[in-house]
Amino acid sequence: MLIKVQIIVGVLSIILLLITFELIRKKRLREEYAILWLFTGIVVLVFSLWPAFFLSQFFVKMTGIFYLSAVVLIAFFFLLLIVFHFSVVISKLTGQNKDLAQQYALLELEFKEWKKRYLPPSSTPS
Amino acid sequence: MGTEEKILVIVPAYNEEGSVGKVVEEVHIHLPQAEVLVVNDGSTDLTSEIAKSKGAIVLNLPFNLGIGGAMQTGYQYAYEKGYDIAIQVDGDGQHDPKEIGKLLKGLAEKKIDIAIGSRFIVDSGYKSSVMRRVGISVFSKVISTIARQKITDPTSGFRAASRKAIQIFATEYPQDYPEPEALVLLHQCQLKIGEVPVAMSERYSGESSITKIRSIYYMVKVLLAIFVDCFKKPPLLEQER
Repeated sequence: MLIKVQIIVGVLSIILLLITFELIRKKRLREEYAILWLFTGIVVLVFSLWPAFFLSQFFVKMTGIFYLSAVVLIAFFFLLLIVFHFSVVISKLTGQNKDLAQQYALLELEFKEWKKRYLPPSSTPS
Repeated sequence: MGTEEKILVIVPAYNEEGSVGKVVEEVHIHLPQAEVLVVNDGSTDLTSEIAKSKGAIVLNLPFNLGIGGAMQTGYQYAYEKGYDIAIQVDGDGQHDPKEIGKLLKGLAEKKIDIAIGSRFIVDSGYKSSVMRRVGISVFSKVISTIARQKITDPTSGFRAASRKAIQIFATEYPQDYPEPEALVLLHQCQLKIGEVPVAMSERYSGESSITKIRSIYYMVKVLLAIFVDCFKKPPLLEQER
């Protein structure tokens, strides 16, 4: 029973790591966003490779959770972190996007006025 | 006042081709000394062309930013170009350019930094849905408490702003449904807020951008934003000249 869980979790985490690595290599994922994913993969992999610690009475007593639930909980925690990180990033991007649009509009108007002032009207087909 | 003040009328407009031309025309009639800036918030209709043909300066945002982003762009323009007073007038025609004089008078006489055109100081015959009135009265109570003075119409977007207020708004302006929050911002920067009774006419065209469900969403969002604002530091501004 345990070995099954171990294999499934282990394979999944390796796939996750490979995909993340591949995406970074192809520059489809920036490192700063990949770090949390890599971390998640590594932690879950460790779980599947060394289950002994998490099976020990000590750990169970400490936390009150069993192996599989521990894996799920840890994975969930990291996903939560990742989603939160995304919310922060999106907020920042939204702000920068707004600033860019505003600067663009102001510059465009300025540019048009300069063009009107310094180019003879005959040479500016509208 | 001595020298003539530079006045800019900022008209944010999103798909208002039916009304923006008339607004620009009327501002020119009632306030010939002012420049009119139409901030075209990514409209897909002829808003920009019509405004330009009526003699307004037109700022074209590349996509729709929402009223807050559009207004701020107007204030940034006013700040950069050295305007002394900026007046907000909606592009949908609910603000009557005839009343701008009252705002300017209020701004100068009361020595305040922002003059809000209020529908509720005297009964102006303004009619609206129950939802809207409830919303406005809630905001009125909240903003009055924070600003420690009576503000009857914090959601009014019909305002005149001093140079100081222009500078603050150019640096920082709340996003969608920004009017009540903008007042909190000014209060934190220790600027003086005042109200002037005005009449508002019916909209020339178009639908209000705030529908029923969205108005609840906005209420919650803006109240949350105002609550958080109370714990924010006011923006640091560079001293002017």
